Amino acid sequence: MEVSYDKESRKIVQAIERFARKHSLWVLAYGTGCGAIEVPPTMTSRYDAERFGIRGAATPRQADVLLITGYLSVKTLKRVIRTYEQMQDPKYVIGFGSCTINGGMYWDSYNTIKLLDMYIPVDVYINGCMPRPEAVISGFIELQKVIAEGKAEGARKYKENLDWYRANQQKIIHNWNMPDYNW
Amino acid sequence: MISVPVILSVMFLGGVLAWLANRFVPKGASWTAAIIAAFAGYLVFALPSCGGEYSLALGSITLVWKSTNYSALFAMLVAVLGFLGILYSMDFMAGKKNLGYYYMNFLFALGAMLGIVYSQDLVSLFFFWEVMTWSSFMLVIYSGEEKSHKAGIKYFAYSAIGAYLILSAIVILYAQSNSFLLSENIKMFSGMSLGTQIMVISFLALGFGVKSAMMPLHVWAPEAYKESPSGFTAVFSGALSKMGIFGLGLVIFKFAANTEIFGYVRETLAWLGGLTAMLATFYAVIQSDAKKLLAYSSIGQLGYIIVGLALGTPLGIMAALFLTIMHGAFKAMLFMTAGAVYMRTGTTSLNDVSGLITKMPLTFLTALFGIISVSGIPPLGGFISKWMLYQALLETNHYFLIIVIFIASTAAFLYLYRFIFSFFLGQKEKEVEHVKEVPWSMLVPMMFLTLFVLFAGLFPGVILDPIGKAMGYLGNFKASWEPQVVFSAWGEKINMQVIAGTIGTIFILGALFIGYKNKKATRVVSTKDIHTAGEIPTENENLTYAVNFNQPFERAIAPILKWSVDKLFNLLGENLESTFEYLRYVYTGNGQTYAMYVILMVVILILFSGSIFGIHL
Amino acid sequence: MDSSTWIKILGYIITPITAFVVGVTYGGIVRVITARVQNRFGPPITQNFWDIIKLYSKKTAVHHGLMQHWGPIFAITASVTSLFFIPVLKDSPLWLNNSFNGDIIFLLYMMVFGSLGMALGAGQTGNPNSAIGVARGLALMVGYEVPFVLALVAIMIQFKTTSIAELMAVQDGFSNWLIFQSPFAFIAAILAFLGMMHYAPFDVTFAPAEIASGPASEFGGKYLALMQTSGSIFTFAKLVLFTDIFLGGAGDLVTLIVKTFLLYMIPVLTGIVNPRYRTEQAITFFWKWPTVFGIIAILIVVL
Repeated sequence: MEVSYDKESRKIVQAIERFARKHSLWVLAYGTGCGAIEVPPTMTSRYDAERFGIRGAATPRQADVLLITGYLSVKTLKRVIRTYEQMQDPKYVIGFGSCTINGGMYWDSYNTIKLLDMYIPVDVYINGCMPRPEAVISGFIELQKVIAEGKAEGARKYKENLDWYRANQQKIIHNWNMPDYNW
Repeated sequence: MISVPVILSVMFLGGVLAWLANRFVPKGASWTAAIIAAFAGYLVFALPSCGGEYSLALGSITLVWKSTNYSALFAMLVAVLGFLGILYSMDFMAGKKNLGYYYMNFLFALGAMLGIVYSQDLVSLFFFWEVMTWSSFMLVIYSGEEKSHKAGIKYFAYSAIGAYLILSAIVILYAQSNSFLLSENIKMFSGMSLGTQIMVISFLALGFGVKSAMMPLHVWAPEAYKESPSGFTAVFSGALSKMGIFGLGLVIFKFAANTEIFGYVRETLAWLGGLTAMLATFYAVIQSDAKKLLAYSSIGQLGYIIVGLALGTPLGIMAALFLTIMHGAFKAMLFMTAGAVYMRTGTTSLNDVSGLITKMPLTFLTALFGIISVSGIPPLGGFISKWMLYQALLETNHYFLIIVIFIASTAAFLYLYRFIFSFFLGQKEKEVEHVKEVPWSMLVPMMFLTLFVLFAGLFPGVILDPIGKAMGYLGNFKASWEPQVVFSAWGEKINMQVIAGTIGTIFILGALFIGYKNKKATRVVSTKDIHTAGEIPTENENLTYAVNFNQPFERAIAPILKWSVDKLFNLLGENLESTFEYLRYVYTGNGQTYAMYVILMVVILILFSGSIFGIHL
Repeated sequence: MDSSTWIKILGYIITPITAFVVGVTYGGIVRVITARVQNRFGPPITQNFWDIIKLYSKKTAVHHGLMQHWGPIFAITASVTSLFFIPVLKDSPLWLNNSFNGDIIFLLYMMVFGSLGMALGAGQTGNPNSAIGVARGLALMVGYEVPFVLALVAIMIQFKTTSIAELMAVQDGFSNWLIFQSPFAFIAAILAFLGMMHYAPFDVTFAPAEIASGPASEFGGKYLALMQTSGSIFTFAKLVLFTDIFLGGAGDLVTLIVKTFLLYMIPVLTGIVNPRYRTEQAITFFWKWPTVFGIIAILIVVL
């Protein structure tokens, strides 16, 4: 909001907002690869991610965190970009598993991407193949730390470097027919 | 000096004039008709609400026309809706064939309706009733297509049955009272025998019930409403069907009120009205054509009105008459909306069009106010009539009827939402890219009625004033209200301005908040930009969920829908056909057989002479 | 202005805020209870506050047109207006009591105002899931309104009033509560209440796993925040309405909270352990036993 607070009250508001963002993470688990199987145990009784305010969201409009669970084929990447662009600011991305970092066991595949950060800005990576639910939760806590420090600026980064991201995306997706990024 | 014959002759001569104008001047018919309707409307309002009496002696029959408070109410409804309907037709019908025919019959129908309400004798009542049926029949078959002919024949057959029932009632009354005057007959009615009373009341109620589409006699309505041009459908549903209500009001409070069977008449009509409201609503839910949907909705709303009248308490009558006016307004609005969509897209099917809201915003606004008003959500006019009706039902201990009415009222949301959703909301289609807002002559009537329902919600007292007077004509009824407050017999009252003020304030605060917050970062996106699991719908893909919209509800009420009156009548028709097949054998073509028939008939007449059904004719 | 006017204005401000706080806290408690039933620890009770604050602090928002923009406002208008006309506490100058004679029928219609507005907003998004959710929600409403109105009619004809305040006045002692005076009406009403609260088995409207949260699926940021705010207030308003009608209302805030909480546990606990009905099953459910109870309630009054 473009209201001229004085410095102190702006600080307080910002602190409350950051605290709320940190403690309320609605996850859109995009089940792209084998990692999707690790999400249910993370959410249910055994590991209970809801303790940290982590909850599933039904649609990208409502979500805060996009969870890319595993390898991303080029075909899926298009949908992931679309989903990411439909999410509302501030939005975070967690790369889940080795595949999102360096391609993992698919590093020489002809149709998977190697590094997710080239296409959408990633805030936190969770490595491992597969990362166990404990690792997933620790990844979320890492994300919370980043948010609390105010460094989770993925959306801004994406907006500012849109040309660079678009160039990367278009280089790999050949039948490009996406609408413009307008929010 | 304004008197009833002046108004009637303006209408009827105006009709002929409009027909002539069409022959010589292009566009002449519509302008002539609009001016005539406006002038006649002015005359109706200028006519003193009680007076303007005129009588004409034709041999032994005296025709009397007079304005009473009761007829003034209906005359105003007819005059206003008639003018708006013609105004709407100016652009709606532009470029169509046979415009002279259209406007002539339109004005004839309006004139006939005014004639009915002003008639104080049974002969002119019946005469105008027939003129109304004929002219509206002409408009039902206007398009000249096969379907419209079928609808027209259905409409005419039912109307004819209704008219003959009314005629028989008139004949019976005349035989007893030796007068055609309404006042004479009413005076002498309580002295007639019980059999006569039952016959007259049931004949009249059935006859008027046909026009007000009461439930087993409603079969003609959906088809006829669908086929008639939308400009006239607004009047058809808004005003013409109210003539049945006008008649039922007379039957209940002028004829039946002084007899022993008053209670039975009222209960029967109330339950018929209640069942009409519920079943018609269920049928409306499953329609996929906008005009048919509205037609069933109209049948249902007339059911409420009949219930209100039949309760016979001041509040019930007030609710019924208020709903008469309101229904005239909001159903005309909705039919006009459907017509506007038809004009721009060429269809009234709810499955074919979507996303018109940005193309036709004012039409959407009319539809929005219309559906809010029909469903009875505060603070618009429809709510007050609902509130009065429920209070009246509670006062008179109609515990189960109120449930029936309530089911109807709640199920109405289903079809109303479907109506507005399918046309205006949903995804924008490429085929409707060219659609523009309708021209001003169609917008003016729609916006006028929109403002009217809002006004009626805020100041119901202004409309309750003529209604109170009309109730004074029907009997010694006193209901209490103030400009914004309505009272019931239990001492309940409702102040509309407090409610409207609260709703308005919170709504405006909310709108300011949501408009101001993140104003710069709020974006409007296209309806293709939706969550579809990352897929991007192409331009030609329409994802709107409109076909079979109410399927879940349809499944739940499937056992009820198995029984349809329409089917019943068709079955009856088939059986009758086979019966008449046998009856054909009576005509042998042999002269001697015919002679025997004559002799038999004479014998029968001698045997039963003087007494048929116990009534001495 | 004299002090009573100021107190009244204060009431207009403090009532929705209290309703919001209580409603949101209830939401948090429900999440904890659900978690415990599922053998989880669950989020903190304040979780729903953080969720709503986070949604309000979203930096961007997207809508598909004016109806969607205004949809949540319709919802909050309906919930706050309903709250303003329901007597929150008995005989209290501060807590609003705009109740007028004849308000039950008004409330029945006012409560629909928000649903219709939300439905229009959801319809404009063009999302098929939203429209499916709306169709289900409206159909379900026809289902549960029947036993609800039967129960209300039974009570209204028993005491010859359509005013909540008068019904509260009737129930002056513990044994005079309407839950004991007309138990069948209460049973019918509480079964309808299950559907009204949209908890399982009557959660077809918002089924997240099935139709992506239905009508809410295209709402995010401030719109979703406003919807959740309105939902919390509306939950509290409905609970107060039921408490006023059946549990004798409340004289002070603590009693009110205890009563509403106990009442709220009925749909919540039913919801946790139940699967989901299909729409037509839900409707036919409401038209069977709850309706029978409602008819019995009326017959008892009449005979």
